[in-house]
Order: sequence, then structure tokens, then C-alpha cells
Amino acid sequence: MTDHGPSKDSGAETTDFGFQRVKPEEKASLVRGVFDSVAARYDLMNDLMSAGVHRLWKRFTIELSAVRPGQTVLDIAGGTGDLAERFSRLVGPKGQVILADINASMLEVGRDRLIDRGALSNVDVVQCDAQYLPFPDNSIDCITIAFGLRNVTDKALAMRSMLRVLRPGGRLLVLEFSKPTNELLGKAYDAYSFKLLPFMGRVVANDAESYRYLAESIRKHPDQETLLGMMEDSGFVDCQYHNMTGGIVAVHRGIKA
Amino acid sequence: MNDKHDPALLSGAFAGLEAAVNRALMLAPASAKDLAAMSGTMIAIECTAPLIEAFITIESGGTLHLASYSEDNPATRVRGSLNNFIELAAADDPAATLINSDLEILGNSAPLIALQQIVSRMDVDWEAPLVDVLGDVGGHQAAQLLRGAFSWGGQAANSLRRQLSEFILEEGRLSPPAAELEHFYGEVQALGLRVERLQSRLKRLSKRITEATQVQK
Repeated sequence: MTDHGPSKDSGAETTDFGFQRVKPEEKASLVRGVFDSVAARYDLMNDLMSAGVHRLWKRFTIELSAVRPGQTVLDIAGGTGDLAERFSRLVGPKGQVILADINASMLEVGRDRLIDRGALSNVDVVQCDAQYLPFPDNSIDCITIAFGLRNVTDKALAMRSMLRVLRPGGRLLVLEFSKPTNELLGKAYDAYSFKLLPFMGRVVANDAESYRYLAESIRKHPDQETLLGMMEDSGFVDCQYHNMTGGIVAVHRGIKA
Repeated sequence: MNDKHDPALLSGAFAGLEAAVNRALMLAPASAKDLAAMSGTMIAIECTAPLIEAFITIESGGTLHLASYSEDNPATRVRGSLNNFIELAAADDPAATLINSDLEILGNSAPLIALQQIVSRMDVDWEAPLVDVLGDVGGHQAAQLLRGAFSWGGQAANSLRRQLSEFILEEGRLSPPAAELEHFYGEVQALGLRVERLQSRLKRLSKRITEATQVQK
């Protein structure tokens, strides 16, 4: 059974890091190590691993956000800034986008990308932990976290923190790997994740271990229904999810009452 | 409505279509300018067969944005089958097509007619991208060749349509001409009215006879 936060393991509190059990205070630095290692080639690897389909998953997530000009959007684990760049255009000069990530290397890549594309005028770059968001209560219209929640040590704590900073009526969108709905697709996906993915990581980014962690962390992440329940338990209402590419990825939406 | 389809597949299809349309609009600046005047307008297309919903938003630069999901209220919502939409897109008289076809319209029909007219007037300058790739001389020659081919194709299609129509109406007498058909429909309608009047007179007469019989008794 997958756990979704720290748990007692032989007397000591532990959490998952891929298939390993580690102390909760160690997970953040281990995840940081993974993303420090892959930051420079993150976008290239995303394109290679998903054959470009991650752009379509993100496009649909942006449609679901229903963001309007003048609103404030927080993109957690925003990394290389592809969502933030599109939100920057949607909110316009009177709106604000906050690109947040726990990892400085990823933020650097994201900030450089936004500068290169002239999209930094309404974007603030903030290095912070999703579990302890440094923003006032009821200050954000929309929060997105794309392919980031599974790396958070205590997901429930992070969701409560997101609920706190959201304005009433504001929405949280979680785009994350999930469980394929078709058994055959699931088997093919497993073979791809554990054989091909580390190989591609070794060839392109010279880092097979980080991409093995990626595959393992996806398997340890809660499935669609479990994540939906976690969002409801955290206080979000009107929660729903949409499966994409046969459930390989799902986008969950919750509203702050 | 789009729940029956994978959102990623729909997003991909819409992204491809959007890119192609916007690329064509870049090469048709007059149409882009006309569209820019309608910026902010959203039209929802609800296709019943196949079951797909699309939201077309006109953006400030005269480009189109296609989405499979929107929470905004569209100015116009059009519902119909794919065939109905193809018929509308190809129509010379969109207003007449909208009235006569099976398309169902909710909201304001003016933006839809305006959009259809802009699309039908769209004059894409294919020479620009060809010049970019082949150079000034080669690009111009290729564009001339393509223009000639399209022009010949258009003329040939028109000529074929005219000759086919002539054969069906005049040579083979397989179908009556439109004017003759309309005259026939008019006569049928007039006959219908005359029959109704006669029926009404007969009813009146029958009533008077019944009344007269009752008085005699």
C-alpha cells in the first residue's frame, strides 16, 4: 500500500523516496539532488520522455484553470517556467504570476527562460517549500502544481498550505502522473518506465539514477481516487479529476469554499 | 460533453488546428485585421456527431484560440452535426444556410455570420512562405505555378459543375430546373389554399342546410 506522507516505520518516522524509505527531513534534500542533476536538460528530457505530449497535458490544465486577466496565479514546483509563461500572458499586465519551486537550479532555468521570452514583467520568482507557503491567507486566485506533488514530503500538509493561501472560490489544479486505466497499457507503461526511461536518462542527461527515481516516485504516488480523497480531506470542495492519455496522467481540480 | 474523449487528444487536435489557422491568418493580414475588430468574442461549437465541443475565442491580435473547455459564456453557441458545419463553412449565403439548415443557434448569430464571412473572404498570400524557403525568384515562380494550378482547378470545377447541371436539367431532363420547381411549389401552395377555402365554404353551406332543416321541422 502506498503511503502519502510521513509514517512510523519500525519506531522511526519515515517517508518514501522512490522505492526507498527515508527520514522525512532527508527527502527534501534528496529530491533537491535529483532536480539539481536534471535541471539543465529537464525540458529536453520531458519532450523526449513524453514525445511532446506533456505540452498537451499542460495546455488542458491551463484551460481548466479558467484564469482571467488581473488574477494572481501561483505555479508551485513551476521549475522551468513553461506554465508560468502561459499564465503570464493570460493574467496580463494587471495580474501576477508567482513561479515557485523548492529547487534553486530549476528556478534559475525558469527565470532565464522567462527573461528570454520577455515574460518576466508580471512574474515573481520565489524559492519556497510547498508545505510552508510564504504568502498571506486568501491571496491567490489559482494554484497549479504540475508534476511536483509526488516529490513533496507531506502532501496533506502541502494541500492545507495551498488551501490557506487560496482566495475563497479559488482553485487548485494538480497535474500529476497517475494510474493507467487499462491493464495492458499499465504493463507497457511499466516496461517503458523501468527499462527505457533510465536508459534515456543515461544517454541524454548522463543520469540514470534520477530517472529511475522518477519512475519509482510515480508508482508510489496516490492513484486518481486516493488523491481526490486527499484533496477533499484537506478541505477542498467540488473536487474532480480528468484522466489523460489513458490515465498515465490525471489533472485534479479542487475549489476553496 | 468532451468527457467521452481523452483531453490530451482533443488538446492536440485543437492545438494543431489552431496553429494551422493562425499561420494562415498571418498570411492573410486583411482577415486578421477584420478578426481583431471582433477580439474577445467567443463562439461555442457543439458538434453532435461526432460528439465534440469546441470554444473559439478571437484574440486581440486577430488570432484564434481553440479550447476544449471554457467557463466563460460564449456570445454564440451553435449546435449541429459535422455535416451541418461543413455546409455552413462552404456556404455563399451563410445567413440563408443558418436559417435553412438543421443548425441550432443560441445567443447572438451576428458574430457567427461575421466570422463565416471573414473565413470565406480570406485571401492567403502563399507566396510569402515560399519566398522565405526558395528565395525571391524561385518562390515567385513556384507561387505563380501554384496560383495557375489553383485557378485552373477552380475553373475546371466550375465548368464541370455547370456542364453536369446542364446535362441533368436540359439534356437528360432528369430533374426540373429550380425556377420550374419553384413555380410548381407555388401552384401546389395556391391549390392548397383554394382547397381550404372550398372546404370552409362547404362547411358553412352544410351548417346552413342543417339550420334550415331544423326550422322546417
